[in-house]
This record gives sequence, C-alpha cells and structure tokens, in this order.
Amino acid sequence: MFLAWNEIKYSKVRYLLIIGVLFLISYLVFFLTGLAYGLAQENRTAIDSWDADGIILPEEANGNFNMSLFSAEELDNIQADEKAILGQTPAVIEKDQEDSGEDRLDVRFLGIDTEQFLTPDVVEGRLVESNGEVVADISLKEENGLNLNDSITLVGGEQAFEIVGFMEDAKLSVAPVLYTTIEAFQEVRFGEPVSDDSELAISAIVVRSETDELDQVTIDNDQLELISIGDFINDLPGYNAQLLTFVFMISFLIVIAAIVIGIFIYVLTMQKINIFGVMKAQGISSGYISKSVIAQTFLLSLIGVLVGLLATLGTALLLPAAVPFRSNELFLIVVSMLMIGIAILGALFSVRTIVKIDPLKAIS
Amino acid sequence: MKAIEFINVDRAFKDGDKTVKALQPTNFSIDRGQFVAIIGPSGSGKSTFLTIAGGLQAPSHGEVKINGQRFSTESEKKRAQIRLSEIGFILQASNLVPFLTIKQQLQLVDRVDKGNVNREEIVTLLEQLDIEDLQNKYPSGISGGQRQRAAIARALYNDPTIILADEPTASLDTDKAYQVVEILAQETKKKNKATIMVTHDTRLIKYCDQVFEMKDGVLQEAQLTATT
Repeated sequence: MFLAWNEIKYSKVRYLLIIGVLFLISYLVFFLTGLAYGLAQENRTAIDSWDADGIILPEEANGNFNMSLFSAEELDNIQADEKAILGQTPAVIEKDQEDSGEDRLDVRFLGIDTEQFLTPDVVEGRLVESNGEVVADISLKEENGLNLNDSITLVGGEQAFEIVGFMEDAKLSVAPVLYTTIEAFQEVRFGEPVSDDSELAISAIVVRSETDELDQVTIDNDQLELISIGDFINDLPGYNAQLLTFVFMISFLIVIAAIVIGIFIYVLTMQKINIFGVMKAQGISSGYISKSVIAQTFLLSLIGVLVGLLATLGTALLLPAAVPFRSNELFLIVVSMLMIGIAILGALFSVRTIVKIDPLKAIS
Repeated sequence: MKAIEFINVDRAFKDGDKTVKALQPTNFSIDRGQFVAIIGPSGSGKSTFLTIAGGLQAPSHGEVKINGQRFSTESEKKRAQIRLSEIGFILQASNLVPFLTIKQQLQLVDRVDKGNVNREEIVTLLEQLDIEDLQNKYPSGISGGQRQRAAIARALYNDPTIILADEPTASLDTDKAYQVVEILAQETKKKNKATIMVTHDTRLIKYCDQVFEMKDGVLQEAQLTATT
C-alpha cells in the first residue's frame, strides 16, 4: 500500500483520469442495474406484496394470468393454510372530470375479497368497503396527480370509481394496480354485475402455506394447476426477456470494465518495468511489488466505484418519478464487490509481467 | 571471513553459434573495510562481474560466497533476500524510485525488510550525506549529485556488509564525482563495509585501497601508482 498510495499522490492527474474512467464505468453499471431492478420490480411488486407461496390457474391458461378465468366456487376444492380469490383485468381509466384523452391511464384492476389475505396495506385513506371504490397504487398520485376521493371512469364503460385509499408498491406488468371488490372486478371485466354468487368468475386463487412449501396445498380439480409464485412471476409476459436482456447487458459491461481496467494496469506496469527492475535488483521481491500493484488497483477501483455509487444515488434523487429506477442494498453491494474484484482480477495479468522482469536488464 | 568471494567464477553467453566468455575464470575476494575499484574499457566484463557479485545473474561455473555463506547457488528468491539485507546497490543513474521522496526511498527499504520505520536513523544518515534538507523532495526536484548521494543513503540505510557501485559518477561533473567517491570511501571505512566500485574514470581510484583492471573478461590487479 505504501508504494501504491505514494504513486497515486505523486501522479495525481494520471490516476485521477483512471479513477474517472472507473467512476464512469461503475456509474453506468449502477445506473443500469438500478433501472433493470426498477423495471423488474414494476412487473411484480403487486405480486410480491401478497407474500404468497403459490397461485392456482386453469391448466389451459398455460400460466398466463390474462387468459385465466374460472368459477369462484372452485375455492371450496382447494385445501391450503390460507387461500384468496383474485380477479385481474387490464383497463384504461380517465379522470372523471376531464376527457382530454391525455389523462387516460393503463391500469390493472385486481378484484379481491377484503376478508381474505390479499387485502392491501393502505398507506393513505382506507380499504374499499363497497363496489364503487378502489385503493390505488401511490404512483397514480405521485405521477398522475390523482388524489383521495377523486373519481375515475373506465374508458369505454360507464362504471365510475372513487379512490378511497393509496398503497405503495402495487404494480403489475408495469401498470399501476387498482384494488377493488371481486364484484366490481366482475363488472369491469364483463360490463355487468353478477346477480348470483355462483356466477362469480375469478382469474386465480392465491395460496399461502405456513411452511412455505406447496406440498400441503391440494386441489380437487384436475383442470386446475398450482404454480409457485416464483415460476408465476418468471412466466409473466415479457418479464424474463426483459430481465435477461438487462442481466446480459450488465454482465458484459462488467466484463468489458474488467478488460479495460486490466489493460490500464498492464500499461502502467509496462511503463514502470525499469523502476520495478531496479527495486528487484535491490532485493525487493516480486511478491511485494505485485502486492503493491494489486493494492493500487484496489484503491483506484474502490474510489472509482464509491464515487460512481454516490453519483448514482445522487442522480436517483433527481430522477422524475416516472423513471423506474430502484436501488437495492444487496445489488449495490454485490455489483460494487464484483467491480472491485474483477478490477483486481485484471491487475493479476500484470503480476506475471512483474515476476518476469529481469533486474539485470533494468539496470543495464 | 571474506565479505565477498569469487571461486573459479566464469560467465559465458551464447551469441548465435558462438560462445562469448564475458568473464574468464576468476578468483577474487574482498574484506570488510576495503574499498576496491574495478576499471576497464566498456564491454570488458566489469558490469558482468558486478552483477554476478550482486546475484543478479548466476555464473556459468564456480561459486560466489557472501560472508562465507553460499550465494550464487541459492534460489532467486533467497538471493533477493540476501541482496536486500547484505548488499547495497548504487547504480549509474541513481535509479531512485521517481514517485517517492528521498525519505520515502529509505522508508521503502524499512517496510520491505524490517516492517518498521526508524526515523532517527533516516535523519542521521541524511545528515551524514548532507542531504537532510532534501528528505521531502522527489528525485526529479534535486540535482544529479544530490540524487547520487540519496542513492548512497538508500544503499547504506539497511546497513549492508557489501556496497556494489556501478559507475556511480557517470552522470556527474568532476567535483561532484569526487565528492560521491569520497563519501563512499568514508562510509566504507567508518561503517566497515566492503565496497566494489566499477568505473572507467581512473581519476577516482585514488580513494580506493585496491584497484583491479578488467580486460576481455580477465580480472587483474592494476598498479595503483601508475594511474594516480
């Protein structure tokens, strides 16, 4: 560290430039990671908030929520520690008082039985109590200016709903969720209310198991299948493709960063071959010099990554709410460690060069 | 016990089909407190002799001993350890580490060898060499003579038994060259070192106890009186 730090202090401009490159790379990686994570979360936060273990859909729906519809009476054929019916349908809404077209919003209606465990955690307002009420994702307030007691209307329909509450993290397939009663869902989906409970159609039955295992859930109907929540999320339309695209982009970026850093350190090492040769002539071991080069890489990458991290977090504060950026401590720590670890891996290429330096040539 | 001892040491290189004998079979020794010069024209084998003495290359035949112990037959790692603790190198262009101050050049030796820094020892040595005011300067900020004195300080700092100086005055003007060699002679006597200085400048050998001449790889004792 002695050699490493003193050299950085001596050649400030050179090392500032290297730190600058490391900062830009890490900033890009952190930012992309935040966007990827944010976008992934916008596909699934509503599902995550259920804290469920499995979901039951008709086999013919092929795991697709949007293609699923069956009788609510099937609930009696399911044995699970906790179970809840769920209706789901995409819809377009607009603010009641305006009809400019600009305020139309894509949303997802989720119909629930408020006596069951899918009841949302309301952060503002209250839970739905009647069919004409909804609890909305807070993004509708933050990004679209909807407030409590505002009235919204279905585009192409006549149903109107009053927003009675807001909840956090309620997005499904990147659309804000509106929780309502199962009867109201029925009306949104089919355009008319049901006259008899036996006609009630739902999209899914969500189950919880005390042991987190699905073995204890039984279904007395061959036409229905139980899917784990993890598999269900992975099968959400577009979710996996989106996630894999980002994962590959970020992975390649990290690998390219490693190569760039490796080349930088290698070039710096080559420039110092004579100095290292003289040190070796004086009896300073290759091990000490190599450790110094690795320590220097560690310092440079640590500073670059930390500045990149701070810049990312700072930028996140300035981003408009519509940008799907989210930070996650675990991801940030893992990406930081990966960046630093891979930078050190890049520096290891230089160790071979150091070991091979002939002090005799250096002093000749 | 001899500080350094060459026993039938020779060194040959392959140059295409030919074999070049850079150093003919040589027997040589030097005691502590002795200051020896090796003179001779360029390409005569002086540097080969010095680098074999310093363990930077192995002899083709024979053996070099340091303070009576095996040296040339040891592994590179072991030779590096012996070099660090027993040999101080002073090179032609001082070869100080450009990004370390004069004080840090000495601290580096401490960090590698002892693990702790003796500030008093550093100050004393720099005072003896009259460069204590330069301790916080980088090599690029001082004169050639001062750099060479700093290189001497670095070579002496670890209290080695042997000093190997390869053309230590090559980049200096006459006055500074005399000054540097005088310091080397003083330090050799005062601190009981064994010093071998390779030089082509015969004016400097008046400070030496013994002078050898290298010609075509053959080392012979030179007549001191004839060259002074």
